[in-house]
Amino acid sequence: MDYKELIGIRRSIRYFDPERPVEREKVQKILEAMRIASCAVNAQWNHAIVVNRADIPPEILEELKMPVAALVQELAPVHIYCYLDPTVIQRFKGSRLKELVDAGALNPTHGWSHKFVDEFVYPQVLEPLSHSPIYPIFAAFDCGGAGTQGLLMAFELGLGACWTAFNTDAAKKLLGVPDEWIPLYCMNVGYSLESREAGGQRPRPDFAELYHEGRYGNPFRRDPTVVKELENDKVLTAPAPLPGRKEEIRKIARKLGLPD
Amino acid sequence: MGLAKPITDYETVATWSKGLREQWGGDPLAEEPEKLQTLAEFCDFVGKDPDEVVAFCFLRKKATGEKFGSVKRREEIAAQIKAFRAAGGGSALAGRRRQSDVCSFLIHNGVLMQLGVI
Repeated sequence: MDYKELIGIRRSIRYFDPERPVEREKVQKILEAMRIASCAVNAQWNHAIVVNRADIPPEILEELKMPVAALVQELAPVHIYCYLDPTVIQRFKGSRLKELVDAGALNPTHGWSHKFVDEFVYPQVLEPLSHSPIYPIFAAFDCGGAGTQGLLMAFELGLGACWTAFNTDAAKKLLGVPDEWIPLYCMNVGYSLESREAGGQRPRPDFAELYHEGRYGNPFRRDPTVVKELENDKVLTAPAPLPGRKEEIRKIARKLGLPD
Repeated sequence: MGLAKPITDYETVATWSKGLREQWGGDPLAEEPEKLQTLAEFCDFVGKDPDEVVAFCFLRKKATGEKFGSVKRREEIAAQIKAFRAAGGGSALAGRRRQSDVCSFLIHNGVLMQLGVI
C-alpha cells in the first residue's frame, strides 16, 4: 500500500476476530519495522514482548485487563507489550553512538568522532541526562515512534491494531521483565472485524490549534490546495462517522454478543 | 421480588432508553422488548429495582460529596451479572445476550461495565 494511503487508512481497531490467529511472520514484520525506527543517540530503549492471547493463563489475562480496554485485550489474538529500558545509556556508554560514526551516519562534518563521543557526549551529556527526571520522557518519545512504525506495518499487512494500557504488575508476572524496564503500552493485533474504512477518519482538533509557525499563537497557515492534494492521495479521508457505521457496529456487537 | 412500578417508569430505564435511541436510532427498547424483560429478571435476581442497581455502583466522597464509581461495587455487580447469566441456562449466545443487555443498561447509565472485565 502507498505510504500516504496507509497513514490515511490507519484506525485504532477495537473489534478483532478473536478466533483468527495472526501469522508469525506478520508479527515479525511488525517488530522489524519497530527496530529500524528513528532513535536519539541510537540508544534503542524500546523492547517488546509478543504473547499470543491464547497462551496467557486465564487468571493472568483477567489481571492484565484495564477497565476501559478489557474487551480489546480479550479480542486481540496477539498482544505486543512494549517497554522502555532506561539502563541502555549507562550500559552502552555511547558505544551505539560510535556505531553511527562507523556507519557514516554521524560524521566529522557535523562534529562527530569516537573521541568526541567518549570525551564529551557520553560523560557530559548522556550520563548526566540519564539521571534526570525528564529522561524517560525523551526515551518514551522514541519508543512511541518505533511503536508507530510497527503499527503502520500491521495495517500494511492487512491487520488491525490498537494501543492499550495494561496492568503492569500482572504483565511483570507473566513476562518476567527486568525490574528497571518501564512499561509503556500494549499493541493489540489481529484481523479486524471492522470494514476497511472502520467508520471514517477520527475527529481531530483543528490544524491551527495544534500547529504554529514562528511563534506560539501564530497558527501554521493551512493551504487548502495542499489539503485537496492530500485528499486525492487518500491521506485525508472522509471523516467519521461514515453512513452505515452504527449498523456496522451493531452487527459486530450481535456477532460477538456485546452490549449495545 | 416484583418491581413497585412499571419498569419503564424508573429514571434509569428512561436514561437507558434515551441512550439507546440516541446511539442507534429508532426505539430499541420497543423493538426488542426482551431487553426490558432481561433487566426485570436481573432486578429480581439481585433484589433491587433498576434505580437501586445503578445507585449501588456509585458512592459519594465523604469530604466533598462528589459522586464516584466504586470499583468494589462494580466488581460485585459484575459478579452478579455473571451469576445471572449462568442461572439463565440456554445457549452460550443467549447467555451472552442476557449479560450484554444488563451491561447495556449500566453503560448507558454511566457505569464502567465493559465486557471483558466481567
